[in-house]
Amino acid sequence: MTTNTTEPVVLDGVAKSYGPVRAVAGIDLAVAAGGVVALLGPNGAGKSTTIAMLLGLTEPDSGRAALFGGPPERAVRAGRVGAMPQDGRLIGGVSVRELVAFARGAYARAGRDVPPLDELLETARLTGVAGRRADRLSGGQAQRVRFALAVAGNPDLLVLDEPSAGLDAEARRDLWAAVRGCAARGATVLFSTHYLAEADEFADRIVVVDRGRVVADGTSTAIKARVPARTVSLDLGDTPPAALDALPGVVGGEVRGGRAELHTTDSDATVRALADAGLLRGLEVRGASLEEAFLTLTADGGAR
Amino acid sequence: MILAYTRLEVTRLLRDGGYLAMCLVSPLMMYLVFTNLDIAGGDGRDAAVYAMVGMAGFGAVGAVMNGGVAIAEDKPLGWIAQLRLLPIRPVEVVVGRTVCAVVASAPPIAAVCLAGGLVDGVGLSPARWVAVVLLLWLGVTPLAVLSTGLGYTLPPRLAQLAGMAFYLGLSMLGGLWFPIAKFPGWLADVARATPVNRYGDLAWAVADGGAPAASTVAVLAGWAALFTVFATYACRRAVRRG
Repeated sequence: MTTNTTEPVVLDGVAKSYGPVRAVAGIDLAVAAGGVVALLGPNGAGKSTTIAMLLGLTEPDSGRAALFGGPPERAVRAGRVGAMPQDGRLIGGVSVRELVAFARGAYARAGRDVPPLDELLETARLTGVAGRRADRLSGGQAQRVRFALAVAGNPDLLVLDEPSAGLDAEARRDLWAAVRGCAARGATVLFSTHYLAEADEFADRIVVVDRGRVVADGTSTAIKARVPARTVSLDLGDTPPAALDALPGVVGGEVRGGRAELHTTDSDATVRALADAGLLRGLEVRGASLEEAFLTLTADGGAR
Repeated sequence: MILAYTRLEVTRLLRDGGYLAMCLVSPLMMYLVFTNLDIAGGDGRDAAVYAMVGMAGFGAVGAVMNGGVAIAEDKPLGWIAQLRLLPIRPVEVVVGRTVCAVVASAPPIAAVCLAGGLVDGVGLSPARWVAVVLLLWLGVTPLAVLSTGLGYTLPPRLAQLAGMAFYLGLSMLGGLWFPIAKFPGWLADVARATPVNRYGDLAWAVADGGAPAASTVAVLAGWAALFTVFATYACRRAVRRG
């Protein structure tokens, strides 16, 4: 692993257990400046714990997290980091405008070149609710406030934990437009998601995490070539299951009650080859769930 | 940054109706009831001075204890974690919260002292009025530090119970409600060692025309040192654990 000290994010074998539960089993990750990186994985994969360690909110049991070549706390205190943790409700007694102004002021005092308050509220689509009490907002509005707090200091590194959770389609579009704006200004963005489509659309690089480990890491195209998007199932008859593993596109599979389920990255090629071999019996092709896809990646031995 | 943060927390507190009801209205009403029923006994005017300091202190202790409960209630909201993601040092947050609790104790002190002067005709020289009010206000700082430590240590419901126990228990034991002279001898000795009684004694001594005894200041300083160690440990632990 590289030790370039100016890299925004370096995780060096970080691991964390909560009692008997191993949340993160040892993750190495280096993020270069200026990219958009997605941490993709099912719920419970360890994404939030990884992000908490990266931000210095949780101390790793072993390994080390560094932001911009130093301890995470130092980068946070210098105002270089903006973050949106996964859960968190807003406090009472203050208006949206007061709360965002407070965060903006904190970054300004740390020496950051902060955007004007009205521009910030506009970017997060909060102008209409700026006078409302922060604890009396809908889930989507509160999520936008939390986003505004994260970008209030024009951060060099923006970390978003499941940012689109609970947002409707329009709010999602606005959020990603704002994230792209940050990336266009040169910020490095790291976000977590459990939607392959979201990672595919917004990230330059996808790091797939499952059961606390990195199981794949690459460009969207490279990941999609390895993540089986479809499952092809058919009656096995007397065909030896091993014969099916070599079919084009197939990256894994199992046999259930006389039927073979093949996880494939290219269902067209797989079906064509099955037809050529005369094996089409009770064929069914369906979209694979992300959980199935992750299982396949993990079963491969976690190659990178 | 401490100033901006303290201002934010004070704003939140002043908009909280529960705070006003509990910390402002109840000591004020109790003061008026106590003095007019003459529970404290003795010469009416002395009793009014005693009760004024006692109830102002009671309100102040309530306000600072409420500060700890507010911290505990902010934890499940994720606000304490959110603050750690902003460029604010944890020590600024801890000090800001403690200052906020001390600021919050000003309204009950002012209300009860105004009632004492205007309704019950408590007469003190201007210099003694200033000294009594300032000692009541700034003397509550050690208890604010304790409350901050409790707020960081305990989950909301336990913090509420602990806050209530300290608020009512220490106030009664410390003689803010009834003079400890009426306690049995052994209990009076215990009471005199409590931080709340020594806190009240700062202002009682001045209201009586004297000055706080060195022993009073020493006992209070001892408690302040102990509470500071506790709060520092509690906050560090909370920060490390996340």
